[in-house]
Amino acid sequence: MAAMQQESAVRTSNATRVLIYLLLLLFAFFYLLPLFVMGVNSVKPLSEITGGNMMALPEMWTLEPWRKAWSEAQVGVQATGLKPYFWNSIKMVVPAVFISTILGALNGYVLTKWRFRGDTILFGLMLFACFIPFQIVLIPMARMLGIFGLAGTTWGLVLVHVVYGIGFTTLYFRNYYAAFPTELVRAAQIDGAGFFQIFWRIMLPSSGPIIVVSVIWQFTNIWNDFLFGASFADFSSQPMTVALNNLVQSSTGVKEYNVHFAGAILAALPTLLVYVVAGRFFVRGLMAGSVKG
Amino acid sequence: MGFLDIDSASKTYGSVEVLHNVNISVGEGEFLVLVGPSGCGKSTLLNMIAGLEDITSGEIRLKGNLMNGVHPSRRNIAMVFQSYALYPNMTVAQNITFGLEMHKVPKAERESAMQEVAELLQIGGLLDRKPAQLSGGQRQRVAMGRALVRNPEVFLFDEPLSNLDAKLRVDMRTEIKKLHQNLGTTIVYVTHDQIEAMTLSTRIAVMNEGHVQQLGTPKEIYDTPANLFVATFMGSPSMNLVPVSINANGEAVYAETSNSFGETVKLAVYEAGSDLRSMSGKTVTLGIRPEALTDKDGADHRSTHVERCASTVGVTEPAGSDTFVTTSFGGADCVARMRADTDASPGAVIEFAFNMENAVFFDPESGIRIG
Repeated sequence: MAAMQQESAVRTSNATRVLIYLLLLLFAFFYLLPLFVMGVNSVKPLSEITGGNMMALPEMWTLEPWRKAWSEAQVGVQATGLKPYFWNSIKMVVPAVFISTILGALNGYVLTKWRFRGDTILFGLMLFACFIPFQIVLIPMARMLGIFGLAGTTWGLVLVHVVYGIGFTTLYFRNYYAAFPTELVRAAQIDGAGFFQIFWRIMLPSSGPIIVVSVIWQFTNIWNDFLFGASFADFSSQPMTVALNNLVQSSTGVKEYNVHFAGAILAALPTLLVYVVAGRFFVRGLMAGSVKG
Repeated sequence: MGFLDIDSASKTYGSVEVLHNVNISVGEGEFLVLVGPSGCGKSTLLNMIAGLEDITSGEIRLKGNLMNGVHPSRRNIAMVFQSYALYPNMTVAQNITFGLEMHKVPKAERESAMQEVAELLQIGGLLDRKPAQLSGGQRQRVAMGRALVRNPEVFLFDEPLSNLDAKLRVDMRTEIKKLHQNLGTTIVYVTHDQIEAMTLSTRIAVMNEGHVQQLGTPKEIYDTPANLFVATFMGSPSMNLVPVSINANGEAVYAETSNSFGETVKLAVYEAGSDLRSMSGKTVTLGIRPEALTDKDGADHRSTHVERCASTVGVTEPAGSDTFVTTSFGGADCVARMRADTDASPGAVIEFAFNMENAVFFDPESGIRIG
């Protein structure tokens, strides 16, 4: 009976189906293993780790390593835990993501709906920014931050990440808006809307999927960045990634692996959260812009 | 001076001139249709009137005021786009009032204007919906509502019906015509559909390759096309073009050609002008519409100049109300529009009737009609 068959491009026998699922489960297990190791070891006392099996479940459950990683561990000169650095990261990520996304949207809007001579060349040059390795700009960027008086500040890091992110966000929004009907812009012009009114009232409200893509991409990259944070921040503005490194790399005293694991999970949590909340829009948004451009 | 004056307007993109010296004067309350094949410049001209495209040279004036360089929103025009261009993130009500809001009209006034338009177009029940939840015809109405609510001097329509299915298109065509009759506003309407042009307009500008080929009432365009392009573009099936040689013999002028089996056919020309007389002995193109080439019983009884001649039937195409019969004269394929119950059958020799009152002649080299 044709109607009973599953909708699938390839028909498979039960045996191959079982094999496929086994393989997939194996891969899933393989990928989840590190997370499992981090999880279990962050909730057991140090003695259980040094004395026994990394894979074993804790005999004595404790949240002490988490508390220690968050507020007590020796990261810099003082035993502050990761807490202040976590807030440093938040203070850096939120404005950087917001500004780079808005600027990317504006660029995309201008490059597709207010076209001018040489716009494709300009876009090509902006795209070029996506391919410049971080290391190349370190020294010029340090010099610029010094001139602006932003060296060693959170706003300095915001500037660096905005400048670096604009290439990507412009690419996303340009491709998305290329498929956006120009007649809408013309209709709004006849209705009397100006450049920014069209942007705020017509373009941005229709850009949900691509905003999600841009936010996830920018958030993940900026949060996880280590090089810029290590190069341009001072003790008062170091982001989470640098602090985690300092925590784990400290060469004095006993290595508290359980605290390190807890700290590493803390550092990864925000990006994980963003993916869980907005992830289902991510693929949809990536596909939406790919029709044209 | 008219209501809307287009005065030697030209448009060039780089070195390519897409509109050449267009002169059209539109009177108040007129329904002007710009018609032509794609790429003829009709949409460019409309966008220039709207202010969405710059005018390279020449002038566009509305009520005597120069519009060159004036922003679209300050021209007091409204436009209905081919894709309707409804704002996807706004409800129907917001779509309709957006223009008023941008012009800082107070909220109460916006509301009452919107209700008025909604009633006129019978879209009162749709006001809270988003464009994605509407059918094609409903979107079309909302797009017209958005244009109407501004109460503009001139309405611009850019192929507004081409996205609708055939039946809805005919309905909406009638609605647009009604709307024009009731409101009496000035409309400039772009289409590539010659039937839309004929049915809607008070005047038609037929365009090709950036030139206005002919500007006139639908009847003028249809009955006395200025050249071969207009003759073949307007009308369906298009005008039959038969090579004939002119024979001016004293008072009488004859157009001579041959039928399907090579016999000479002599057609007496009705009211031949001096230009045609001077072409005596030369070959010109006779243009005759399918409805002026009929079976002998179907010929217009009011016409006093019906010429008959026999020819072989090629194909018959019953179309319900009429039957189209093909044959050939002077080596050119011709279509005759016969009654539905005609006894013409393929291969038979029957009498064809030429209504010479409706015949026109063209210079085959220049393509221009001979007066």
